[in-house]
Amino acid sequence: MSLSSLLRQSSSEALSLSQQTAQYLQKHASTGTSTIPIPILTYPESTETWVMYEKLFLSSLRTGDDKAALNCLEKLMDRFGATNERVMGLRGLYQEAVAKDDAALERVLQEYDKVLSEDSVNTPIAKRRIALLQSLSRTTEAIDALAELLESSPTDIEAWTELSDLYLAQNLFPQAIFCLEEVLLVAPNAWNIHAHLGEVLYLSAMNGNENYEDRILAEATRRFCRSVELCDDYLRGYYGLKLTSDRLLSIIPDDIKPKEQVGTVDNGELPMFSTAVVRKLNEQASFKLAEITRTSNSSYNVAEVISAKDLLGRSTHRRQR
Amino acid sequence: MADPMVQSIHRDPALFYWILFPISVVMILTGVLRHYATVLLQTTPKKQELPALREQRSLLRGINLRSNCSAISSTAFAFRKQYLVSAYKDGTFLKDPENRGKPAGNPMTDPAAMEGMMGMMKGNMAMMIPQTLIMGWINAFFAGFVIMKLPFPLTIRFKSMLQSGVATRDLDVRWVSSLSWYFLNLFGLQSVFIFILGNDNAANQMTQQMSQMNPGAGAGMFQPGQDPDKMFQSEAENLEVVEHEYILEGVEDRLLASIE
Repeated sequence: MSLSSLLRQSSSEALSLSQQTAQYLQKHASTGTSTIPIPILTYPESTETWVMYEKLFLSSLRTGDDKAALNCLEKLMDRFGATNERVMGLRGLYQEAVAKDDAALERVLQEYDKVLSEDSVNTPIAKRRIALLQSLSRTTEAIDALAELLESSPTDIEAWTELSDLYLAQNLFPQAIFCLEEVLLVAPNAWNIHAHLGEVLYLSAMNGNENYEDRILAEATRRFCRSVELCDDYLRGYYGLKLTSDRLLSIIPDDIKPKEQVGTVDNGELPMFSTAVVRKLNEQASFKLAEITRTSNSSYNVAEVISAKDLLGRSTHRRQR
Repeated sequence: MADPMVQSIHRDPALFYWILFPISVVMILTGVLRHYATVLLQTTPKKQELPALREQRSLLRGINLRSNCSAISSTAFAFRKQYLVSAYKDGTFLKDPENRGKPAGNPMTDPAAMEGMMGMMKGNMAMMIPQTLIMGWINAFFAGFVIMKLPFPLTIRFKSMLQSGVATRDLDVRWVSSLSWYFLNLFGLQSVFIFILGNDNAANQMTQQMSQMNPGAGAGMFQPGQDPDKMFQSEAENLEVVEHEYILEGVEDRLLASIE
């Protein structure tokens, strides 16, 4: 939980967090050191303290402050023991970070294999192993390992998302879509996943599938609609909506009528949009994007805002031509 | 009664030093001791084996599919339903497929269930033994003392609560007997323990009783003695009758309507 949120934080946040590390370590130097904990006398131990240590550890690693990271890790190991699964995962992360070359990474990998052969349920290590396989660019092995992990624990959102990314990197769109659908089955209101699924659908429409392009694009458009329905002013959602509806407008005929005439839902697929609706969605998306880029505050990712501006600029340019 | 006569009992100040004070101190100390004893007696929750984990999570997947099916298209749903239903019916996910159909074993013989029960027993013991001992101690030494007077008046209903062990009908309710002081301490020291031991202490018995109300709330969905195969079968049936509805149907109209 804290891990995933940590990955979303921007680099500047990570940097400022890691700069506090030394200070924090000093302040809490006494935590957990006395053998008989007498809560009145010592700083009260709480879950937050240790979550904080974990966060500090990760952001120190991100900013390349290996020494501070080692400090945090030692604290965690003192408290929870070196055999705690989560601590083992963090330790593996540290070892990967300080590994100098591929040979060192291979050694870490062998260590993971050894741990897993003794205890196959150790999920953090299993995940580290997969990530390591990825960074050694052994993608097929990583996919196999992930599939194995998901076989035994099919409700792991993190693993499904990772697997979908891996498939996407291999241009295996149907598989990537399947994985994202699994994520949605666990977290049906995750607007970012809806938008991401829309993105994958869009990519799959753009890469092959000439015959079904309009259908897939319609599905992608609907996904983006759902994502902005769930989260107002979601930049990626509107961006995708704009992108897909632009594309859709360029390929569908100008005179698709509203649903009644097109016919009912057949073989489970939703009917095609009417052209007017697509146009309206497109306008709405442009409007929203313009609004967001105009009033953009710090809550939006800078890169995303810039690319939204770029997209808007391109489409107005095209219209003027 | 116009003016209730104020009862005054002349108490030896030694009663305070040798009864009231010791009982309170002993109660606090036992609470602290109990906390550490429970911490020491705690067994780390046993790790589940991979097949058991798989069994649980596969069932959970079916439940998720059933409750969140609106998130995916009907083709995708039908595909998953078919797969899960047939796998559930064949017992693919079962922890030990050869035990299928046999009646569930006695939970007493299941080592995993035994362990859980032992843990509960230990918790109970850590609570019961000191309680019995102290109760006996107070009964043996301090029974029948009136040790303090509350500074505020109370109704007659409190009499049984405040004066247990002192069988005097006419005594004013404000007088507190030693045994009752013990009970008041037993139930009323929670905030003291929070102050001394921190928030999640095991000293207070109320929290213990609470946790016994739903033992194993986090221990997984399979209670001992429940047949996983039956749960899979019923989940398969549930899945088969689910009516699928696609959330993306008409989403564009909803969106446009919400904006206008």
